[in-house]
Amino acid sequence: MLSFIIRRLISAVLVLFAISVMVFLIFFATPGVDPAARIAGRSASPAVVAAVRAAFGLNRPLPVRYLLMMDHLFIKHDLTSYVNVNTPVIPQILHAAPVTLSLVLGAAVIWIIVGVLGGVIAAANRGKFIDPLIMFVGIAAVSVPAYWLGEVVNYFTQSKFHSSVFSWVPSSGYVSPLTNPWQWALHLLFPWLTLAALFAGIYARVLRAELVNALNEDYVRTARAKGLSERRILLRHALRCSLISIVSLFGLDFGALVGGAALLTEIVMGLPGIGQLTYNSLQNLDLPVIMGCVMYAAFFVVFANAVVDVVYALLDPRVRVA
Amino acid sequence: MLSVRDLKVSFATRQGELRAVDGLSFDVGAKEVLGIVGESGSGKSVAMYSMLGLVRDANVSISGSVKFEGREILGLSDREMQRVRGGEVGMIFQDPMTALTPVYTVGWQIVEQIRAHTEMTKVQATARSIELLGEVGIPNPRSRVNQFPHEFSGGMRQRVVIAMALSCNPKLLIADEPTTALDVTTQAQILDLMERLQQSYGSSIVIITHDIGVIAEMADRVVVMYAGRPAEIGKEIDVVRYPRHPYTWGLLGAVPRVDSKNSRLVTIPGTPVSPLDVPDGCPFAPRCEYRMTICDQRPPLHGSDDHLDACWLSDEQRLQIRPTPEGPEARP
Amino acid sequence: MSDEVLLRATDVVKTFTSRGKKLGVRSVATAVNGVSLEVRRGETLGIVGESGCGKSTLARCLVQLLPVTSGTVEFRGVELTGLSRRQLRPHRREMQLVFQDPYASLNPRRTVGDIVADPLKINKVGTEDEIGERVRELFVTVGLDPSSLRRYPHEFSGGQRQRIGIARSLALNPLLVVADEPVSALDVSVQAQVLNLMADLQETLNLTYLFIAHDLGVVRHVSDRVGVMYLGEIVEIGDAEEIYDAPMHPYTEALLSVVPELNDTDAPRRERIIITGDVPDPSDRPTGCSFHPRCPAATELCRSDKPELIELRPGHLVACHHPRNVA
Repeated sequence: MLSFIIRRLISAVLVLFAISVMVFLIFFATPGVDPAARIAGRSASPAVVAAVRAAFGLNRPLPVRYLLMMDHLFIKHDLTSYVNVNTPVIPQILHAAPVTLSLVLGAAVIWIIVGVLGGVIAAANRGKFIDPLIMFVGIAAVSVPAYWLGEVVNYFTQSKFHSSVFSWVPSSGYVSPLTNPWQWALHLLFPWLTLAALFAGIYARVLRAELVNALNEDYVRTARAKGLSERRILLRHALRCSLISIVSLFGLDFGALVGGAALLTEIVMGLPGIGQLTYNSLQNLDLPVIMGCVMYAAFFVVFANAVVDVVYALLDPRVRVA
Repeated sequence: MLSVRDLKVSFATRQGELRAVDGLSFDVGAKEVLGIVGESGSGKSVAMYSMLGLVRDANVSISGSVKFEGREILGLSDREMQRVRGGEVGMIFQDPMTALTPVYTVGWQIVEQIRAHTEMTKVQATARSIELLGEVGIPNPRSRVNQFPHEFSGGMRQRVVIAMALSCNPKLLIADEPTTALDVTTQAQILDLMERLQQSYGSSIVIITHDIGVIAEMADRVVVMYAGRPAEIGKEIDVVRYPRHPYTWGLLGAVPRVDSKNSRLVTIPGTPVSPLDVPDGCPFAPRCEYRMTICDQRPPLHGSDDHLDACWLSDEQRLQIRPTPEGPEARP
Repeated sequence: MSDEVLLRATDVVKTFTSRGKKLGVRSVATAVNGVSLEVRRGETLGIVGESGCGKSTLARCLVQLLPVTSGTVEFRGVELTGLSRRQLRPHRREMQLVFQDPYASLNPRRTVGDIVADPLKINKVGTEDEIGERVRELFVTVGLDPSSLRRYPHEFSGGQRQRIGIARSLALNPLLVVADEPVSALDVSVQAQVLNLMADLQETLNLTYLFIAHDLGVVRHVSDRVGVMYLGEIVEIGDAEEIYDAPMHPYTEALLSVVPELNDTDAPRRERIIITGDVPDPSDRPTGCSFHPRCPAATELCRSDKPELIELRPGHLVACHHPRNVA
């Protein structure tokens, strides 16, 4: 098991390296673009551009340039924004990351609980009224666009009923859990629910399908022949084996959301997270920030996948040897 | 021990009623091995599964009577049935590769069954499962008990399934094609094991298979099934040596033999009848070369001396078609 | 049957390399380990063995569906190993395969008529009309109703599908048909129909069969000669009757003794020899004779020295240090 984890981490590092090379090549080896002018910032004087070119070694061979760039990104942390000259990139990302992480983590807990419960209840009541009901609610929640749902939630909690039922809901924004955990949760409650609603339905549907498949497996028949209760068969045998596919789905979703895919929710809910940062930098073609965000997103996707594979191996002994 | 009377299992499908089992009756005595043989779709497995409430299809309807040790078990509640399954009746399945839950160790799975039916503690149950694994011939049971199913070969997995089936000392063991997925040498090991365990545990066994050779090897009595109905029932030696039903004749003649070269195999023309449109009369009639007009009516299961068959042919006709090797007097 | 050798394999080896269980270690599984055999024109050579013994891999190597790792395969005196795809084509036409699973080996989205016509179209044999005529003729040959040409595979039963597979293999008038477990997915009564059909076709079309199966009864029934495989090697090969009546290799002897039989006569049953254990991992072969860990007659010699396949009786070869029934 330990060797599996180590192997998985080594391969994750290799993937990250490959991504960094690719990102570097896309941004700095694209013909016809002068990266020095991009990095130096808007309306920089030729002298500044020349200084940047020297500092980043942009006239030196590609591998050296790559190493210098990584040095600026990860070690010196002195890459600055193109739009807001003299604003370093890394602290910006480090500032936005906790917001996104808080949003996605909280939502993930909610959608996993709701999705698993929904899937299990639906699978256990196949053919009864409640099964198609859960499936319908699930597909409806999935189909709703995030910005619309967010706006509706905002409308009800922030304006229409803000003076009555939802008077306890704070105005949108983010409070660090280190300063005030209670306010942190309170500020994020509705963003969590909004984001979770978009995923809980898919998870319930996927899990139900997996469970129904599992319940037709030979090992479930064996479990029945052993005289186990239906409840035990469903939870200990069918669910346990079905969780494997939920975990891989979760890894992909989680990685992508933390990497910036929660953009719509962040914007609607007024949360200054990674999604918003990426969005703004793309708007301004702010090359250094874009590159930082891409690297950060790649890191989370790769990291989440590595964690998923390890959890996978914990859940399924057959994977451990492979 | 087990007494089945007029068991009928049918499924409501879009294409109409699917009669999987249509009037099956047989008895299994104490310590007896009963073989049920038939081709795919003959309803042999469905009959067993429906008896034990393992057919969980909303469209199924089951009727008839199944008495286990004098107690009617058809229509028992789920909870009561759970006590029967795995406790008094153990089951062995066809494909050992998929019959075990892949994510738990084999020990865990045996312990689970023991604890579902007895008051044993975890420690006691684990000790018992190690003992069982040893009994079914798994080397180093003490370390193997903590391994996962995928770490066992097919034959070894089937031994695990057998150990599990025996874990609560069942009075009846139902084996559904227990060796079909295995190679000949492994099949021999498993059949040998089942024979030895049957001696020591004294359970009755119902063995379901399409391989009449396995039946000949294992069974005391045989039920030959065709299209959900019994075609012939009798002692193994009677059915194999003095088969009475034309379907049994065909079945026996179609098996390529290892012990002698047969120049040409006997074939039954056509294909097995679909359970969706079983004829009202004799189900075998459309493929039978001795078909008569009376075959439009359903033949009753009749005969004597514990050897029954469902065919309209008279004894004289049968003798003419297929003279028994020793002549009619030699028949037991 | 003649003495003309149609297919000759010499020391064929096929290995598969896969990622090992340990980090960075590649494991090499030897699926076929130095097989030499001859298939004579007009005969049926049966290859029998348990799952994992390499019999299907051998068949695929012989018809060049898989490249051999080493060794040579000659077909009608021409060495096939090393030929290019284009050079192989005329020989491929003469060697056709029938597969085990009649459900998986027919494309479900094409009509059975198209499936049988495929080899003719690919090899551009005749006009559209001629091909249509030939397909109808093939359907009749294998006992199917030509009016069902436009139906799809799922509308046929397993036995009928296997007939379609056979019709497809016969489309180009091959010399050699390699049948890989052609009846193992079928019910007994249907299996008998297909076996009889194959026997009839052999007679009328003068076919040569390489018949691969795990069912010892089926192999005895169809074969003139039989090769017994264990762990990628032929341990015994010779006349079918001789092998079944007086097997010389302990593995063959044990295999034959444990087949469940219908003891419908008073003839005494063979004594059952139950060999213990499982077939070893082909990537971790035993030393000496590959059967020695399970052999009831194994000695020190078997552990250290690998027995050669030698002719102990005319046309009957055995690879064993302590053969049975020699006298």
